[in-house]
Amino acid sequence: MSVGLRRVVLWSGVVTLCLWVLVPIYLIALGAFGGRAGVFRWPKSLLPWDATLASMQTFLAVEGVGRAAVNGALVAALTMLLSLALGAPAGYALARYAFRGANLFRLLVILTRAFPLAILALPLTVTFIRVGLYDTPLGVALVHTALALPFAALVSASLFMGIPRELEEAAWVFGCSRLQAFRKVVLPLALPGLAAAAIFAFVISWNEVFAASVLTVRNKTLTAYLLTVLAESPLHYRFAGGFLLILPSIVFIFAVRKYLFAMWGVSNK
Amino acid sequence: MKPIAAWLAGAALAAIWTTAGLAQDVIFLSTQLRPVEEATKVRQVILKGVGPVTYAVEEPSPFQTRMDAETQAGKRTISLVGALHGELQPLVNSKGLSPVDDLSAKAKERGVPDALMALGKLGGEQQMYIPWMQATYIMAAHKSALAHLPAGADVNTLTYDQLKAWAKAVQEKTGKRALGFPAGPKGLMARFFQGYLYPSYTGGVVSTFKSADAEAMWTAFKDLWQHVNPNSTSYDFMQEPLMAGEVLIAFDHVARLKEALNAAPNDFVTFPAPAGPKGRGFMPVIAGLGIPPGAPNRAAAAGLIEHLLKPETQVAMARELGFFPVVKAELPSDLPGGVKLLVEGVAKTQTAKDALPSLLPVGLGAKGGEFNKVYMDTFQRIVLRGEAPRAALDAQAATLAAIITETKAPCWAPDKASNGPCPIN
Repeated sequence: MSVGLRRVVLWSGVVTLCLWVLVPIYLIALGAFGGRAGVFRWPKSLLPWDATLASMQTFLAVEGVGRAAVNGALVAALTMLLSLALGAPAGYALARYAFRGANLFRLLVILTRAFPLAILALPLTVTFIRVGLYDTPLGVALVHTALALPFAALVSASLFMGIPRELEEAAWVFGCSRLQAFRKVVLPLALPGLAAAAIFAFVISWNEVFAASVLTVRNKTLTAYLLTVLAESPLHYRFAGGFLLILPSIVFIFAVRKYLFAMWGVSNK
Repeated sequence: MKPIAAWLAGAALAAIWTTAGLAQDVIFLSTQLRPVEEATKVRQVILKGVGPVTYAVEEPSPFQTRMDAETQAGKRTISLVGALHGELQPLVNSKGLSPVDDLSAKAKERGVPDALMALGKLGGEQQMYIPWMQATYIMAAHKSALAHLPAGADVNTLTYDQLKAWAKAVQEKTGKRALGFPAGPKGLMARFFQGYLYPSYTGGVVSTFKSADAEAMWTAFKDLWQHVNPNSTSYDFMQEPLMAGEVLIAFDHVARLKEALNAAPNDFVTFPAPAGPKGRGFMPVIAGLGIPPGAPNRAAAAGLIEHLLKPETQVAMARELGFFPVVKAELPSDLPGGVKLLVEGVAKTQTAKDALPSLLPVGLGAKGGEFNKVYMDTFQRIVLRGEAPRAALDAQAATLAAIITETKAPCWAPDKASNGPCPIN
């Protein structure tokens, strides 16, 4: 294969992949800004000639959307912090210490995802009401943390395994305590990967609907608040709501994209 | 590590703040009027000026979970619930509703019919909910389809045979299967069988489930299905395919046709569902208002019920949301075009000479979903998979019998009243 041909193949692959992701997002945006009539027009115009902010405005004016957005972000941030605070040490232990049952632990940690939330919903809600976590962002964040924890633990375990033990030992030799060695040597190397694990937790929390809607009354997250009503709304509202829901994810992932590559070990090389 | 700790503390503080900073409002939880536009209208028009009310909406399944959870935990956050008759029924057994006998006199005074009040007792002695609003199912057609009506047929007094001839004619002229039913996963097709097809052909729903009449009915419906748009098995709401022109004739709940009629009131006509040999079956849908025991603010909830039953509130509900009054209230003549079509369709249905009203399933409790599934499964086996009606009916009748035996539900209209569980003849 000549260099020119190879380049053509490479770029057509890149373009195809980009279109694969961008075209649906563009079509959703088109629906979101096309208004009631635009959604039903056929054949569809691919250019935003008749863009209108009407459906988006109605959406943003719905009582409680602002509050739900704040709650959603708060819950996702809490989930991110909690799952990292619990998952990273677990991952470190799995990577650095050989202990009996390490493999079993690896397996068990995934078990929190094995029970469908719909079955847990009733006892969980009853307990949350009794404990006083019902209808609080913290309560929802705890459930989301349970869901995100396996990923956080396993991703950070493989991350710490990829950082040579010798670096840490060298730090000890030069007089660092265990904690100092972790903070000054391991953490900077692991940070991009940890950030990627955090993104995972954020996205899991942002997308979760069931727990978020059953465990709250007033303090619903944006996804729970909108998704329960979207399926039964007219099409142009569905587009507007869908656009509103993917927007934060896109912005967030775009902001942290360079850390995302760390998951595949690209940026460390 | 410091910034992270600060973050955590900040987030925790914010979490506490959001819960503590709440006004002492009344929570009104509803499984009805969920879509964004409708919920907004409830908040901004219907509940305007009645004090601090949080109108929250929820799908039926999380609704049951939440009510049960609050019952078991013994702590209520919800003061008032609004839901369909069939969704309130299971709450009686799980102790999620308290009697509202003290409010029933006022409701009767406002003109809520005795039959509706009786439904609100949910099979017991005490009033468990106050009727809130009603709706039903009608048919809508694009005016362009009217040209193909078979000779001698009046759209307002159609029979199922005429509907078939009509759909066939439209198919021959336009090349598309233009009749549509909401047989999708979230569609309300089961109600079509229970409230419309079965009563019209057999005069019953349960007792006649596997009768010879039912066999003939399924054969005829399978025949009709040749002219039904095959996408029907994915339609949840008929308003979208009607607006897009995918179907020209459709059957659905009034609230699920409203968008299409509002968007183009001059393009559509509304009319009652067809009649069969036993009459023109139709099913009124009732939503009610109930108060859970130990509600945080029972007085305010009672006040809200009072407000929602005012004639002017009920008229506003019809005008804005397409649900009809349960109290005595005169609908104004200047209704918006789409709502006017709905009102006409409902009026024609209720006043049809051969009208045969069917109640929603009574006494099935939490088995309502399984009951619906019997009818949907029968439909799938006979119409979609082409099984012989007799064999499929016999097999499904066994499932139906098990549900009836377990719940001991007596027959409800249009089946003839029974002593003990409703028999399947």
